[in-house]
This record gives sequence, structure tokens and C-alpha cells, in this order.
Amino acid sequence: MATEFTLPATASKPHSLKRIGAWVLMGFAALLCFWLFVLPVIVVALSSVASHWSGTIFPDGFSMRWFERLGSSDFDALTTSLEVGFGVAVLGTVLGLWLALALEGRDRNGVGAWVDTIAMMPNGVPSVVLGLSVLIAYHKKPLDISGSAAIVVLVQLALVLPFCYRCAAAALRPELTILREAAASLGAPPSMVLSRVVLPQLVPAIRASLALGFALSLGELGATLTVYPPGFATVPIVVVGQVNRGYYLPASALSLILLAVSLAALLLIAAKVPRRRIA
Amino acid sequence: MSSLSVSEHVVDDVAHTAAKRRRERLAQWHLWFILVVVLGPLVIYPLVQLLLLSVSGAHGLSFHAYTAFFGNPETSGVVGTTLGILFASATLASVLGVLLAAMLFFKPFPGAKLVTRFLELFVAFPSFLVAFTLIFLYGSQGSVSIGLQRLFNLQDPPLNFLFGIGGVILAEVVFYAPFVVRPTLASFATLDMRLIEAAKSLGANGWMVAFKVILPLAWPGIAAGTILCFLLTLNEFGILLVLGSAHLITLPMAIYSSATVDLDLPTAAAGAVVMLAMSLSLYALYRRVNRRTGGRNGN
Repeated sequence: MATEFTLPATASKPHSLKRIGAWVLMGFAALLCFWLFVLPVIVVALSSVASHWSGTIFPDGFSMRWFERLGSSDFDALTTSLEVGFGVAVLGTVLGLWLALALEGRDRNGVGAWVDTIAMMPNGVPSVVLGLSVLIAYHKKPLDISGSAAIVVLVQLALVLPFCYRCAAAALRPELTILREAAASLGAPPSMVLSRVVLPQLVPAIRASLALGFALSLGELGATLTVYPPGFATVPIVVVGQVNRGYYLPASALSLILLAVSLAALLLIAAKVPRRRIA
Repeated sequence: MSSLSVSEHVVDDVAHTAAKRRRERLAQWHLWFILVVVLGPLVIYPLVQLLLLSVSGAHGLSFHAYTAFFGNPETSGVVGTTLGILFASATLASVLGVLLAAMLFFKPFPGAKLVTRFLELFVAFPSFLVAFTLIFLYGSQGSVSIGLQRLFNLQDPPLNFLFGIGGVILAEVVFYAPFVVRPTLASFATLDMRLIEAAKSLGANGWMVAFKVILPLAWPGIAAGTILCFLLTLNEFGILLVLGSAHLITLPMAIYSSATVDLDLPTAAAGAVVMLAMSLSLYALYRRVNRRTGGRNGN
């Protein structure tokens, strides 16, 4: 009997040590996650309501003055960002849907493979390089749109298209093809199949695609900075300008608004936050 | 009777194949239309123009722009600097990402679900903002620096690395580790847990399970995530602009400043073509690896 009782006791000692080790490891991981990923968001929020934050561990005091001091140029940037983001999200979703429907069920060869590869290519192109290419292509005749917001929409559309296309293509499952074929074989014309069968099935994907397009457009910096004409600065451009001149706290206030808008859009349009898809 | 039905069948078949072929041809034309009308102006035409401008001189073909871009003493080591930063930050981010994913999946702490969810929200978090928040934390006047100064009673704030290569690497690791976490989590989710149980019951310890069972099985997903991380880090711009624009000349910054500060588009185009070649080869590699894993980890 006695030996039977001592056995578990000796066995439990390394076990409990191991358990403490596991707890320490887990605590470390939790802290690391918090430190790396949650803290930045908190810092933006905290700094935008700080009255002064430099040379201290925590902000000196809190005030809303950075929000009150946002000038007309900040609000212009916000309007530009929202308008461009809306346009890019809608156009990107429509084009992505069109591409996905045209390519659906095609094996990967011939023109289909080329369309797929080229549509996905902006994912692998640095944003500055794409911005520069668009600037070179459209800053002089035969087509000069470098003075209007169209060039910003165009370059962001190219960057967002792969994501929207992937969203739509991922939703076109084989089951949906069967439904479409069933509807068509029962005599529904193609327009009816599209409006009554395909689009309702794709509503979640369309919402995800809109949200993703909008959020990516709001945060886009490299390509927009390369092409934007005077008067069409978006929020990221204004924020980076302020940061580089050392105006950290006003930049925080503006970034917080940007973050809030894109988060609200993500949550409003897509109940489930879409993943950033690539390839 | 029977011959009639056979010929009817044949006629039907012929009509059917003709309709099928017509539909096929229509679909083909549809794709060509998309290629020309949508992708042409958005992607193909700009990239072709970029390529043409980089090799066009006053008298036809010329590589003057390339020698101008890489011959400039300020930008001579630019490819080396860019690749150095790329390897340092992408390697660190990948290791960190895989470790975090393993922790989140195999030893979930309370709130691990929340962290996973939070990582998905990183879509809405632009990279330049990460760089910006680091200024408040690790800048010479930031919280961590001042905290260390108070703790050790130092004369000056101890941290002064942020606006340079160290800060850029830190920001890129923080921002891109989540992009490794998600594909790695996805490939862990497809593991057959019975294999892990079997290995454990046969006496394998934690390290053995990790390196002999989990890693080989989850390897394709991890590889895809790592390559993606390298690609995104190479293409990064916002972090470089916020933290590296003053002292650090990298390829994207050199391209950007020749295009918008010097207003020298051909020279900028030459740099851009070189960078495009680097990015697209990484991207092609990513597509290959990802296709081999069935694309299920490709997000």
C-alpha cells in the first residue's frame, strides 16, 4: 500500500514543475501578444487624447484639443479618403465579381490562366512601383488623368482588385454551380439565374469584398503618395506628413478617426471580418 | 425504328457539341474582353510603360537610366541595404509568427481566441501607423526609454535606435508576424491530431513531437506563410517612410525620391524595374508553393 502511495508523489514533482513552466510560457506568450499587437492600438488611442506626451512614461494629461484643432485640410483629407475608398470598394467589388464569374470553373490554362495571373499580380507588385507605373502611363497624352482623383482611384483599384477577386472566387463553390445549372435547365434565362440564384448566394462575399476594399483603400499609402495630385491628399498622406514634421499628437487624432471609420465599415458591412487574402 | 432513334440521337449530339463549342468560344472572347478592357488599363499598360521608359534613351534603346540609378553614390548600396533589412525582419517575423501560432494552437492561454480575432483585424491597421505608435513606445522620448532611464537613474534616455535600421526591423517584425500566424494556424488546423497523440503515446517528448511530427506535416503551410512574409516585407513602404526616410536609403525610398523629389521618372523607372523583378520572382515562388498545398493556406 505504502509503495503505491509514494509512487504518484514522486511522479508528481516533475509534473508540477512542468506545469509551472507551461504557465510561465503561456503568460509570456500572452504578454508578447498583448505587447506586440494590442499595445499599438492602445497607444494611438491614448496619444490622441493626451494633452502632452513626450519624455514621460504616460501622457501628462488628457484633453480633446487635438480633435478640436483638426483643421479644414484634415477634414478635406478625410472626405477625400472616404470618397475614394467608397469608389474603390464598389468598383473593385463589381470588377472582382465579374472576373470571378468569367473565370469560374475554367481549368488553369489558356487565356483563363493569364487573366487569373494578371489579376492577382498587383499582390506581388510593390505599391510604390505600381504607383510609379500608373503615373508614367497616365501623366501625359494620350490619356492624362494625373490632375484628377481618377488616378488615385485607378491605382488603388489595381491594388484592391486581387483581394476582391479572391473574395468572390472563394464564394463560387461547386454547389453553387450545380444550383445555377439546375436553374438554367429549368428554363431560367441567364439574367434571371444571375439575379435570383447567383447574387443572393454571393451576398456574404460581396459584403466582405466591399469591406476589404474600403479598409485597404483607407490605409493605402505608397501608391497613393506617388500619384496623388495636389488637393487630393488622403488621410494616410496627411498623417505621415505630420509625423515627419514632428506633429505627433494631431497625427494621432487623425489616425484614430481613420481607424474608427475603417473598423466601423468592416463591422458594419461584413459581420465576419474577412481575411486578408493573397494569391 | 431503332435506326431512326439512333440518327436522332446523333443529330442531337451534333447540335449539343456545336452549342457547347459556341459557348466555349463565347467564354473565350469574354476573357479576352476582360483582359483588354479591365486588366489592360489597370495593370498591363502601366507596367509596360514603366518597362519602356526605363530602357528608352534619347536615341532608342539605352540603359542610361539604370547606370544613373545605381551609379548615384547615395544609392550605391541600396540593394544590399534593402535585402539586409528584408532578411533580418522577415526571418524574425517568421520565427516569431510560427512560435506564436504554435502557442495559440497547442497551448491556448485564456484570451487566445481574442488574440486570433485581433490578428484578423490587422487588415484595418495600416503599416505606417504601427511605425508611428512605436515612436511613442521606443522613441528616445518614448515610454520605454523614459521608463528605463528612471529605473536605472541614467543621465540620458537610453534608447535611440528607432529612426534607422533597428526601428525599421522592429516595426516590420511587429507588423508582419501576424501574416505568418494565420497561414500557420490554418495548416495546424488541418493536422491529424491522432498522429500527435500516437507519437505521444509511443513516448515521444514535446520537442520530438514538434520537430518530427508537426513540423514536417505543417511545413507547406509554414513555407507559404514565410514566403508571403518575405514578399510583403520587401514591398513595404509606409514603415520605411516614417522611420527610415531620414537616414536609411532603401530601394522603395530611392525610387520614391527620384520620382517625386528629383522628378526624374526614367531613373525612378529603372529602380522600379529592378525591384519589380525581385518582387515578382518571390511572388511566383509563393504561387507555386501555395498551389502545391492546394491553396487552402493562402490567406
